[in-house]
Amino acid sequence: MKQYIARRVGYSLLSLFLLSVTIFLFVRVTGDPVSLLVEPGASPEDIENIRHQLGLDQPLWEQYWHFMANLAAGDLGQSFYYRTPVLELYFQRLPHSLLLAAVAMALSLLIGIPSGILAAVRVDGFWDSAGKIFALLGLSLPSFWVGLVLILFFSVYLGWLPSSGSGGVAHLLMPAFTLGWYFAAAHMRLTRSSMLEVLGSEYIKLARLKGLPEALVIGKHALKNALIPVITLAGINLVVMINVAVVVETVFAWPGIGRLLYEGITFRDFPVVQGVVIIGGAMIVLVNLLVDILYALIDPRIRLES
Amino acid sequence: MRTSLSQSALTTRRDLMGLAALGLIASAAKPAAGAPDGELRVGVHVSLAPTWFDPAETPGIITPFMLLYAMHDAVLKAMPDDPMAPCLAESGTMSADGLSYALSLRKGVKFHNGDPLTAEDVKFSLERYRGAASKSLKDRVARVDIHDPHRLTIRLKEPWPDFLTFYAGASGAGWIVPKKYLEQVGDEGFKKAPVGAGPYKFVSFTPGVELVCEAFEEYWRKKPTIKRLVFKVIPDEATRLAALQRSEVDIAYSIRGELADELQRTPGLTINPALSSAPFWLYFPDQWDPQSPWHDRRLRQAVSLALDLKTINEALTLGHSRATGSIFPVNFEFYWQPPTPVYDPASARKLLAEAGHARGFDAGDYYCDTSYANIGEVALNNLREVGIRVRLRPLERAAFFKAYSEKKLKNIVQGASGAFGNCATRAEAFVAKGGTYAYGSYPDIDALFAEQAVQMDRARREAILHRLQQAVHDKAMYAPIFQLAFISGVGPRVGQSGFGLIKGFAYTAPYEDMTLKGKA
Repeated sequence: MKQYIARRVGYSLLSLFLLSVTIFLFVRVTGDPVSLLVEPGASPEDIENIRHQLGLDQPLWEQYWHFMANLAAGDLGQSFYYRTPVLELYFQRLPHSLLLAAVAMALSLLIGIPSGILAAVRVDGFWDSAGKIFALLGLSLPSFWVGLVLILFFSVYLGWLPSSGSGGVAHLLMPAFTLGWYFAAAHMRLTRSSMLEVLGSEYIKLARLKGLPEALVIGKHALKNALIPVITLAGINLVVMINVAVVVETVFAWPGIGRLLYEGITFRDFPVVQGVVIIGGAMIVLVNLLVDILYALIDPRIRLES
Repeated sequence: MRTSLSQSALTTRRDLMGLAALGLIASAAKPAAGAPDGELRVGVHVSLAPTWFDPAETPGIITPFMLLYAMHDAVLKAMPDDPMAPCLAESGTMSADGLSYALSLRKGVKFHNGDPLTAEDVKFSLERYRGAASKSLKDRVARVDIHDPHRLTIRLKEPWPDFLTFYAGASGAGWIVPKKYLEQVGDEGFKKAPVGAGPYKFVSFTPGVELVCEAFEEYWRKKPTIKRLVFKVIPDEATRLAALQRSEVDIAYSIRGELADELQRTPGLTINPALSSAPFWLYFPDQWDPQSPWHDRRLRQAVSLALDLKTINEALTLGHSRATGSIFPVNFEFYWQPPTPVYDPASARKLLAEAGHARGFDAGDYYCDTSYANIGEVALNNLREVGIRVRLRPLERAAFFKAYSEKKLKNIVQGASGAFGNCATRAEAFVAKGGTYAYGSYPDIDALFAEQAVQMDRARREAILHRLQQAVHDKAMYAPIFQLAFISGVGPRVGQSGFGLIKGFAYTAPYEDMTLKGKA
């Protein structure tokens, strides 16, 4: 088991190293950040001065060496735009992203799971068709459009909700729904297909033959098993929601990590982009590592096979 | 002999300090009677960066001045009716040799923490400055001598006609920070709790959310009438407009195109276009290549005649931009007004025919920054109508300016600049030999540029720079489009929004002049 864990940790570290190299190089081929920090027409001295201040006048390998040395010390560098440590910026935004992701996830599960169950038990009926349309719209409508329509309707026309910003519960509803709808649709689809699979299994037929009430068959025997893949997906989606709610956070001026990433990309703020991607990547790698270890603990065949 | 800057033939600014010397600034700014009241919320289009709270780090873009005008004050700065109004300086003189600038500071001015503002702070701020144009300033400033708490002299290594342009306009070096406080809290501490001498003091900053400021009642020029200013960050344009429509904000910056049209149609809201200092133009980088069709001046003139600037302006900025016919901003010092551009496709076709392209010609690529590809799309159609066939090549902003400055673009380049300075600094970057964005130059223009650079007599320098601009026009080096209007929206609660009070400044200012209805 120890050997298995050591190997998995090694793979995880290798993944993070490759991610760091990739993101370091990728951000640098996207353009020169200095041209976005000055007006066109700025003097060459000013441009050089800023380049020097940001350390961009150093050779690429030297920049990478500094980046890795700082990373090893837990320092993600300083934002070009904010002139503030990236880690500080990240932790300022993290609570907002966690809150938005938690509420969006709760909404997505509250909508997705019941509608998925309903679609599965009334397969090919009205609720199934309605669920399909709901899922189709959720997965296909761009979130910036959904967000703007919600703002127009609930803020401008009805005047019920604030159009943007953060603060109270009212500020949270529209961004959480916009972010959650996409994932609700995905959860609905997965719940439906998982339920259909479980409902067709032998033990469910047996439960019905035994004369158990339908609500008990579905609610107790089928749902427990059908939810396993949904919960697994929701866990991964939560990490995704925290890190990449770029469009929703921008449309609703929600001060989360997604918007930090958007600003980082817009201003070629290399340290911010690198930092957000590496922390997001580390989260996913860590979740996968824990899942691998848990699987190995539950099922010894996995560690033996690997 | 020392000469009052306001009267000197040696000054770089004719009107410099004249008003203050006469005591007009102080008398014009009558203090408001009552205590500041109410809250004004501004929907800002960009994320506010703490680095903008510190004048020492002012980059070469205009956006940070949105905050500097609130929290800080400058020795001289652009104000209504005066592009270089004396503020913390009461009067000043420039020596006859142009090597020193003696300044007398206004007495009784205090920072937000109660510390008095003295010559030490002015010296400290200049020496500490590390933002845009800091190298130019440091290379040329020899030292700062303090005579007493309110008198100092800035000494230059050699005469520099543009010293005040940089000190009081194109940099943050003339914006004063409290030396004592900064030494106590350090650079990082200052960004977390900035203290200035401006009309509004810092209250709180929530990154990505908002900046809150409160009126500084002891502000020397005028007691602000509005108690609290809240700068709310709303990056999405449509959301910003919605926030204005819902009165969540009183001012929304940067509303363009169709949204500006909707803003105009919304009852109770006012559209406020401010003419920025950013002219747009078409540039012909191949004009010095005898093999290129653009070497022929008639073709370049044809491009100017083919552009329907009125339609472009109306479609994109509701007609609020200004077709000046120049690549130099109309509000810049030493500006020369060229003849008004005309839309004359028939004459454009005639010029094409005279140049041997009666059936038109394939003119290659038309490069532009993607942010303003909408201008390019309209211009492209205009050019096609007269037979100049070009392909639109929008490049992402950073990539575009990198390629532009590295002189990699060909055929037609749609450029723009909102950089600070005056007509000389603009010519240096875009017209003169070796300029960052100059792909070539003309000997007569280069000679004029060199001549003005050492000319300390303002009138003579102006005459030279006028001749230079005329030469740029005559040679059709550029086909100017327009000087862009920055369109913002104002809600029904606002009395004086501050838009357009300072020429060429896109944002609201001076903040102490702003009012809410019924609260002034």
